[in-house]
Amino acid sequence: MSAELSPVGHEVRLEVSGIRKQFPGVVALDDVSLRLRAGEIHALLGENGAGKSTLIKILTGVYQPDEGEIRLDGTPIRFSSPHAALAAGISVVHQERNLIPQFTVAENILLERMPTRGVQLVDHAAVNRLAKPWIEMVGLDVKPATAVAELSVAQIQLVEIAKALSLQARILLMDEPTAAITPHEVGYLFRILGDLRRRHVALVFVSHKLEEVFELCDRVTVLRDGKNASADVAVADLDRDQLVTYMIGRAEVISKLPPKPKPGDVVLEASGLITVEGDPEISLELRKGEVLGLYGLVGAGRSRLARTLVGEIKPAAGDVRVNGAKTRIKGFREALEKHRIGYVSEDRKQEGLILLHSVRANTSITIWRRLVTFGQWIRRSAEDAAILPSLRQLDVRSHSLSQPVGTLSGGNQQKVSIAKWLAAKAEILIIDEPTVGIDVKTKSALHELIWDLAASGKSVLLISSDMPEVIRLSDRILVMRNHAIVGELPNTGQYDEMSEAIMARLS
Amino acid sequence: MTVRLRSLAPGLALGLLVIDVVGILVLSVVTPSFLSTYNLFVTGRDLSILLLVALAQMVVLSLGQMNLSIGSIGGLVAIIESGLMVRYGVPVAAALVAGLLLGIACGVINGLLVYWTKINSFVLTLGTSYVFAGINLGITHATPFYHIPAEISSFGQARIGPFPVMAALTIALTLLLATFLYQVVLGRQLLAAGGNPLAARLSGLPIRRATLTAHAISGFLAAVAGTMLMAQLGQGQPTIGATWVLPSFAGPIIGGAALAGGSAPVLGTVLAMVLISLIDDGLVLVNADPFWVQFLIGALILGAVVLGRTSLSDIRAFLKISPGEPRGLESTR
Repeated sequence: MSAELSPVGHEVRLEVSGIRKQFPGVVALDDVSLRLRAGEIHALLGENGAGKSTLIKILTGVYQPDEGEIRLDGTPIRFSSPHAALAAGISVVHQERNLIPQFTVAENILLERMPTRGVQLVDHAAVNRLAKPWIEMVGLDVKPATAVAELSVAQIQLVEIAKALSLQARILLMDEPTAAITPHEVGYLFRILGDLRRRHVALVFVSHKLEEVFELCDRVTVLRDGKNASADVAVADLDRDQLVTYMIGRAEVISKLPPKPKPGDVVLEASGLITVEGDPEISLELRKGEVLGLYGLVGAGRSRLARTLVGEIKPAAGDVRVNGAKTRIKGFREALEKHRIGYVSEDRKQEGLILLHSVRANTSITIWRRLVTFGQWIRRSAEDAAILPSLRQLDVRSHSLSQPVGTLSGGNQQKVSIAKWLAAKAEILIIDEPTVGIDVKTKSALHELIWDLAASGKSVLLISSDMPEVIRLSDRILVMRNHAIVGELPNTGQYDEMSEAIMARLS
Repeated sequence: MTVRLRSLAPGLALGLLVIDVVGILVLSVVTPSFLSTYNLFVTGRDLSILLLVALAQMVVLSLGQMNLSIGSIGGLVAIIESGLMVRYGVPVAAALVAGLLLGIACGVINGLLVYWTKINSFVLTLGTSYVFAGINLGITHATPFYHIPAEISSFGQARIGPFPVMAALTIALTLLLATFLYQVVLGRQLLAAGGNPLAARLSGLPIRRATLTAHAISGFLAAVAGTMLMAQLGQGQPTIGATWVLPSFAGPIIGGAALAGGSAPVLGTVLAMVLISLIDDGLVLVNADPFWVQFLIGALILGAVVLGRTSLSDIRAFLKISPGEPRGLESTR
């Protein structure tokens, strides 16, 4: 598909070079370049935290680069705001949607340019009439007056594309458009994107999924740890192995972890578990002292599975056993208090921590009830004595225990969100994406920490879409795709072998 | 990337304390009648009641919710108590216990409705506010219950030197509330639930209990305030609590409460209410136009809100203070 429409000879529309962007404590982008031609679909690949989103935000004027140059049609340009980028013809279709659900499709498309009548009255007939051609262009089969809230995720995406086209977008950035839609809808989306390519729109396609790159894209740029792992390579010149190597780098950069004892008895077991009616059954076993990796891409159903295991989502069918005994856990609270299961959320800011509250309160939150002396009173000295060992074990760095946790670095925040479970003496830890948005060095420290926890007899269910992480830490690896476990692999620790085996399960 | 620290509690409280002290000094010098026994008594009594009203709001704000029905609860409790005593001859102690339990029950109703329906507390307590006030009017037809027993009305006039006896009750309740919120498990669970309900739930905290407790305390404090105002007036006035909505928010907000929840500035609220009563009293004493009191309080709220929006790092940048290097916790103790 890509060969026949190879864009050789098409003019360069956007040229980005030497981009550097630094945030407090982390260099998000370092000397990054990207070249985009009219009429091509350019894949922007990279793992979580590689810098894709930061680059997209720089291209759309949300962030300003610290260094580097952006040329649009050969002319150097700076986008001072998202509005400036939009005016220059650069639109983005976001992961998080940007439409107003209560408004109609047509109103959303023409939001900034509502046609009016008389004294600034919106001309609804004109809105629907003007929006119609754009809706038809993306092949969307809904009336212009339909409320966006009634549409599916895939349809909403098409509305966003229609809106971008109506804004005369010549460059369209698609941020993981296939993360949350069905394979059938993906096929449809690809046809639309192919149409846009023929209309000489320049498309950037951000994705995790390698098969989509080979199916759809003409050229590819890969980011790794904020740098170009490859820049502007023709997809036709690549095979899958090369692309994987670009994305995750060489296996030898991963240092060896010390040996740990063999896993013991099964502590957590799910059999025939169905999270949503119609989904396949899921069975898994987690042993004492084991790290069980649960690898899958965003939307594979991993977090939903984790929440079902602790009973926060009521399973449609199936059993959960803890230490061999069949049980119906009724949510996070019971999971912790009765079964010593802790859940470290993937979203530490939204779900893991109370950012305004102190390191102390965020760590001791799980054990307040155990700290009470007479009556319901908590003595601060007892509180600090109970949490300091955990904080020290994780080497949390803060000015004092009273420092608001929101002022710590991302890595230290993550350590606090794990420390509270250590303080609560959780024996089974479900850790969801522990190193998203965390720099390489702290990432390595967190890996050693998770390893040490398992070595000391805790059991860890490690949910991650970071392949090196899963291969480095896991005793066994479950591969999850479309809400089903599609493979269980004993981990040999051989990176190339394992990554290939995992990839094979995913395609 | 910076975290907005909406509660600058220690710095803000210090600022309020300075303003309060300066205000007291200035009023003492400018108007000798400020220190008169009568003025201190009357001002102290109003402050005792309004502080409880403000704390009733603060405890719900700390949960990230609101209670618009504080005044209606205070009014309903006052007329039920006075009605029981005056019309049915119920003994004073029994009537008061019934009234306070009613206040708690009203709060629990608010809490249950908010927890069950997940509807915004503003909307729900707006509704219950009308319901409670409506019951009040239905019972009284806007006519007060006169001649409440002397034990109660004399409590409203009792003083030790220039200080109203009811201030002792308010001080005791304030200290209890502060202890509860900062030191007792349920209080800290309440604050955590306000700071981030999702994180609190994931950490295994009982969110429903925290929600009910906050609203029950709010109802209880409103009931005590209503009872105190009834004692002061010497009758069960149906209009008790009708003007409490604005001061109930002004105190916590000037005192540094975050509307999003998670902070419970008891000291800040106390100092803010002292400031409000100083402004109120001062303007009366210097014969200023009393209609400008509201304007000044409004300006104060705006100032407090703007200050609260400022992040700690903004202030550091302004003062050019470097936060220094964070260290491991080995050295912190």
